[in-house]
Amino acid sequence: MQLGKLNIIFTVIICVFSSNAYAQFTVINDSVLNDSTYKKRVLENTEISFLFSLYTQDGENAATNGGIGSEQLIDATPTFVVSVPINDDDVLTIDAGISAYTSASSSNINPFDSDKADAFQASSGASSADVWGNFTGIYSHSSDDRNKIWSGKLSVSAEYDYFSVGFGGGRAWLFNEKNTEFSIHGNVYLDTWNTVYPIELRSGKSKSKVEDDGTINIEDDEDNFNINNYSITGDTNYLPIFSPFKSKGRNSYSASLGFSQILSRSIQLSLVYDIVMQQGLLSTPFHRIHFQDYGNSYIEGYHLADAIETLPDSRVKMAGGMRLNIYLNRIFVLRNQYRYYQDNWGIKSHTLIFELPIKLADKITLIPSYRYYNQTAADYFAPYNKHLSTEKFYTSDYDLSKFNSNQFGLGISYTDLDLKHNIWKVKLKSIDFQLNKYDRNTSFNSFYGAFAFKFILDS
Amino acid sequence: MKKIVIVFSLLILLGSCTVVKEYEKVYINDPDMALESKKIDRFKTNIHSYREAASGGNGGKTGGGCGCN
Repeated sequence: MQLGKLNIIFTVIICVFSSNAYAQFTVINDSVLNDSTYKKRVLENTEISFLFSLYTQDGENAATNGGIGSEQLIDATPTFVVSVPINDDDVLTIDAGISAYTSASSSNINPFDSDKADAFQASSGASSADVWGNFTGIYSHSSDDRNKIWSGKLSVSAEYDYFSVGFGGGRAWLFNEKNTEFSIHGNVYLDTWNTVYPIELRSGKSKSKVEDDGTINIEDDEDNFNINNYSITGDTNYLPIFSPFKSKGRNSYSASLGFSQILSRSIQLSLVYDIVMQQGLLSTPFHRIHFQDYGNSYIEGYHLADAIETLPDSRVKMAGGMRLNIYLNRIFVLRNQYRYYQDNWGIKSHTLIFELPIKLADKITLIPSYRYYNQTAADYFAPYNKHLSTEKFYTSDYDLSKFNSNQFGLGISYTDLDLKHNIWKVKLKSIDFQLNKYDRNTSFNSFYGAFAFKFILDS
Repeated sequence: MKKIVIVFSLLILLGSCTVVKEYEKVYINDPDMALESKKIDRFKTNIHSYREAASGGNGGKTGGGCGCN
């Protein structure tokens, strides 16, 4: 199905639903207005959430090595989310977190800094570990009748090779005695890469710096690597295709339409449609490429890059998602999600998620879940050593390959709406814990655990 | 795909002909019936946006703000 057709279908659906809901809204408008004489605070008390996740993965198709080698990665992410009621109508939410990781794959940006270079072993250099930090502020305002909500968002995030500033806003309308909601959001991210290339392409002197006027200056390489100090085996006439990227920016513009509808006393549904346009440097500068029509050159048995990942400088992504939640009975709730995704790089994907919260006791819920995902390959993908040097674009990043995956999860949730447990003015509202196992039909698999505590600050 | 869209369009059109009153929303207001993801699910969504080509359509990341796909 073409991107344009899908755009039209989703837009028509959302418009039809909205007009239907608006028609009902006009009928019941009086009763809603009567309700608005009493104004409840949007958020009664300050809420503080502390979340933590631990993620591990492994695989044998690292993009840093051109589609081969260890993908081992461990990531720990602590996050605080604080929501503060500014007044009856306004809420400020601060979301701050860091993500610290060690990665065998990215360590091999420079595989020659340990005993022996090996795509299947982590190196010990600066690129083997990093910290990603994020700060997001969201301000929302609700109308007196709580049927209109405005929100604005500002975010900053950084890691060693990436810096991003984002801003956006949105508006939601509730109709039909709050049975129907329509929302629209827009976001802009202005990102900048610190281009880090595979070490052999820097060769002791070739770390590039692009000046404002577009000229490229060559800087000394802090890794102090000089290819002439090593013995090249295989094809000793090593001549990679490499020129530094002139543009380091990546801009992303997204628009999102949302619609939700209560279908009955125990069923509700939502539809989301996202369209994203990205421009700029969409390649990852340290992803190696090996051409099958080139000779293979090695240092210490490590296959040297023939080129780096090169992808188009624009991408249009579209995703349409649907959720359908059904309250089956006092014990079981069925939560279903489906998403269709398509972009102009040739990728199409389907995602299905089923969750079945089981109320074991008054405050305790067990949540088994299953997620199925599949995607087609990007037009520019080829496995390790399968690209041709005559191609215009190339990537061996297996995240852009054809695959499907299965994820099984189990969560447990404790919710104390009575807020009986407290320390001083801080009252515990909920605890969530979950484990997930993710397996692709390739060599890749991952395991992830997370917990979250939510507290209410008594005023 | 078109069939799915048509079926759910009809389902919603029929469903939206009734109005569930506030006092009838006991089941709808159950925390497990929320149409958005729980905060703890954000990590899963982020991981998927790094490790898979698809993103968006779920209230999570759609692109930008990370070195992800």
